[in-house]
Amino acid sequence: MILIQIILILAFIVFLFRFLSNPSSYQIRAWTKILAVLFVILAVITVLFPNSTNAVAHWLGISRGADLLLYFLTLVVIFFIFNSYIQEKRLQKKIVILARKIAIMEANHKKIK
Amino acid sequence: MKEDTAVIIPVFNEEKIVLKVIRSVKKYFNVVICVDDGSSDRSSEVILHSKATLVKHPINLGAGAATQTGIDFALQNKQIKYFVTIDADDQHNIEDALRMLKSLRDNKLDIVFGSRFIGSVESISKFKKLFLKTAAIFSARTSGIYLSDPHIGLRVFNRNFAENLNLTLPDFSHASEIIHRVADGKFKYAEVPVHVSYSDYSKSKGQPMLNSVNITTDLFFHRISKK
Repeated sequence: MILIQIILILAFIVFLFRFLSNPSSYQIRAWTKILAVLFVILAVITVLFPNSTNAVAHWLGISRGADLLLYFLTLVVIFFIFNSYIQEKRLQKKIVILARKIAIMEANHKKIK
Repeated sequence: MKEDTAVIIPVFNEEKIVLKVIRSVKKYFNVVICVDDGSSDRSSEVILHSKATLVKHPINLGAGAATQTGIDFALQNKQIKYFVTIDADDQHNIEDALRMLKSLRDNKLDIVFGSRFIGSVESISKFKKLFLKTAAIFSARTSGIYLSDPHIGLRVFNRNFAENLNLTLPDFSHASEIIHRVADGKFKYAEVPVHVSYSDYSKSKGQPMLNSVNITTDLFFHRISKK
């Protein structure tokens, strides 16, 4: 198996575990920031040295640098979709609790009146 | 008139029929709680001017969330020992709930489910019937509890079960969530035959079958994310 295949499969497994293990929100925020910083650093490097992607790609067992970028971007997109899905579910739960509190408070208030 | 039983009716856009349901329930039960799940029609006004108590979600949250809100509200009243959930579209008979309540007490059960398939059902489409039966098989596989009609809205349960229910899935997945709770908590349960009639009105409402895709995936992720 070439290196990139191992990396991609490992990345997918990590995503799946993150997705299922229900990480706490500070973990999500921290990882988002770390990955964002790494992303910017890599972006700047590739802008300054466009040919470096080719070199890295060859080292990983991919023929072209453009393909490496494509794989990399796919991972980034998946990561952000998973993250926002988890955040959305969490937010939805909070809204349900909040709305229920309001509904019960209102009903109790009416009863006392 | 039963004072120790709360009847919970989750309501979403049922202005035309909810008053009829409230009146029939009021014949036997004093504590009637209608949870308006953020209806866009005049449902909450109709309930407010009826003899039922109105608990109103400020926004639409789903049938499961409305059921849980009704239970939370009823639990505040320490006199309530039994809980009944019934649909707001007049497909159930409240007399069936009386028999279910009797069965719950006589057999010291925690929860009694109605079943239209060991009971009777009027003017149901073949497709809906097949759909519900398939859902029953799926539910039995995942929870380990076989019910002939897990997606029935008519249920009777005691205070102990109500306190432990804590529904977290907001929409129609709550039917399955209840069954999983029964399995996890080793609660004693039974099914009692009931009569369900689909009027043209309730047929025109009903949840779209496509929603079963949402329910299945919600349940799936809910189950594995807990483990």
